[in-house]
Amino acid sequence: MKRKITYTFIYIILTIAAFISVFPFYWMIVGSTNKSVDVNKGKLTFGTHFLTNFKNLVNNYNLGEVLWNSIQVSFFVVVFSLIVSSMAGYGFEMYKSKGRNYVYGAVLLTMMIPFAALMVPVFKLMSFFNLIDSLWGVILPMIPSVFLIFFFRQNFQQYPKEIIMAARVDGASELRIFFSIVMPSMKATYAAGAIYAFLTSWNAYLQPLVIIQTQKNRTMSLFIANLASGYQPDFGLVMTAVVIATLPTLILFFALQKHFVQGILGSVKQ
Amino acid sequence: MKKRFSVFMLVVLFLGIVNAAGLSGKITIWCWDPNFNVAIMEEAAARYTKINPNAQIEIVSMAKEDVEQKLNTILASGVKKGLPEIVLIEDYNAKKYLESYPGAFADLTKHFNYDEFAPYKLEFMTIKDKVYGVPFDSGVAGWFYRRDYFEQAGIDPSKLDNITMDEYIELGKIVKEKTGKYMQAGDPYDGGLMRTLLQCAGTWYFDEKGQPNFVNNPAMVEAVNVYKKMADSGISKEVTGWNEWVAAFNGGEVASVITGVWIIGSIKAEPSQSGKWGVLPVPRLNVQGAVNASNLGGSSWYVLQNSENRDLAIDFLKEIYAKDVDFYQKILIDRGAIGTWLPAQKGEAYVAPDPFFGNQKIYVDFAKWMEMIPPVDYGIYTYEADAAIMGIMPDVYSGKLSVVEALKRAEEQCKNLIGL
Repeated sequence: MKRKITYTFIYIILTIAAFISVFPFYWMIVGSTNKSVDVNKGKLTFGTHFLTNFKNLVNNYNLGEVLWNSIQVSFFVVVFSLIVSSMAGYGFEMYKSKGRNYVYGAVLLTMMIPFAALMVPVFKLMSFFNLIDSLWGVILPMIPSVFLIFFFRQNFQQYPKEIIMAARVDGASELRIFFSIVMPSMKATYAAGAIYAFLTSWNAYLQPLVIIQTQKNRTMSLFIANLASGYQPDFGLVMTAVVIATLPTLILFFALQKHFVQGILGSVKQ
Repeated sequence: MKKRFSVFMLVVLFLGIVNAAGLSGKITIWCWDPNFNVAIMEEAAARYTKINPNAQIEIVSMAKEDVEQKLNTILASGVKKGLPEIVLIEDYNAKKYLESYPGAFADLTKHFNYDEFAPYKLEFMTIKDKVYGVPFDSGVAGWFYRRDYFEQAGIDPSKLDNITMDEYIELGKIVKEKTGKYMQAGDPYDGGLMRTLLQCAGTWYFDEKGQPNFVNNPAMVEAVNVYKKMADSGISKEVTGWNEWVAAFNGGEVASVITGVWIIGSIKAEPSQSGKWGVLPVPRLNVQGAVNASNLGGSSWYVLQNSENRDLAIDFLKEIYAKDVDFYQKILIDRGAIGTWLPAQKGEAYVAPDPFFGNQKIYVDFAKWMEMIPPVDYGIYTYEADAAIMGIMPDVYSGKLSVVEALKRAEEQCKNLIGL
């Protein structure tokens, strides 16, 4: 009996939590089918304006260009960030040296510096490399991800060292071991890392904001911020744009969902 | 005759070439709001490229916070590459930029005849007799009211062009009693009305030295009193945020709105209310020297001193924003934007009656009130002061603190916020 009450209680809490996390999502989709006035009034039922909103968006703005910029940024960040961060994590875990943990600690500490504090120096640096208003100016600083280094190192801890030893005995080079043996057997970890890298680069805001200077190089997040600003924004249009911006994340997440859960679980030492 | 004409044409052409050869290049402009500032700048750009075909103009549209963030980053980094030629800055924040980054903005004193602009727009963009901006849109305030509700309540609007906030609250009680509608809608923790009231009295949160001046400022004491009386009287529908506020008057729940002229677009968004609205001068604060005219918001254009095509940008602003009367008519009709270049207000769009407002010539009225707005130096910490005073309001409403005590605390709080 007592147990039943506990379960009921847990379910009530879970239902509330689920509602809180799903509601904004629901509201976004409903909003994209309504007129701005109705969104303002807080209408919570589906309307019939999705096509109008969508047409307004496509006809008045260069949506394709914006999406293409975002896709490029995310693609390169995901690919390079996974390679660089996993190699760093692997190095920290597998090679023993005296200062290793100090260096690792220093790297982790940089997680605590908010980007706002780095903005001016990053801007100066990119300006020095002539990368202002270039997508590479956005991509490069996002490649080394401290969180991913940490995440990969945690996962490599479980990796059986015997396999690496065996490969060494067989005469494989260190790079060969990493790329041909370790990497293919850690798919779940890489999938989880890919989702993380994609999310951070796709949703990145401050970084592209300070680097990108012209309309034609804008990414999706900048585009939406612009739509939502102004004295009388068209909220139906904004919601439609947000739906479109959410789709790639959603697709990627569902495609990699199975691996993602495994990868996250894998990072917990059992 | 024909020959003379062709010679004349040649001269014109030649002059055109010489003039154009002198100034060419690309002007980059940062501003916010695709339906307002951006659209207006696009109109201005189209007009300028007709005069000077060698100029190329790129308008970068972004959120207001983003313009500020980017401007801060680029100016703080000291990088001189990739500066925009022109940026839009909100009037309340202008001085912060001018004082934080000396030398970053071009001194425009000699380039414009500033007597032609609304005087209140110059106060905050002037430092040591040098003017650094081109005044743009006005936030001249009006008291928008529903003709039908006022009639129902037996109130005659023609007698209301010179009243105080206290009288306004009394009228509000009558409206509520007779029609069941609220007099207005507002967020009791929003400083917009406070700023409007302070400006009508010709004062601000700060004294001449830039020190917070709350307790010894009669206008502020009175303004907080107004907030308190308003809350006690129940004439104001309590709303949170822009959307609820707009919904309150679009939905016909309130009899009037006191705010900046830029609200007209939102009022007109409800076509079923056409003909039912009118505009009166804002009620003034009950203190010495207050007038029935004020301002809320507005922004202006600034040219960056180290940008590549600075002179071209100045020429552009001069040719359009200080010369083109027709441009100002066009942006008023298309966007509801009231400029602050006074000669434009004799134009036909300004004198046309507006059927939505019961054929009142509202822009003639707004132009008149605009010239009456007392000039005020906004200083550099307007929003910090706003936060300090609004943060203490709950205790004022509950009666826990007297007005003077609350102002004392808020002044302390404001000093903390700005690090004095």
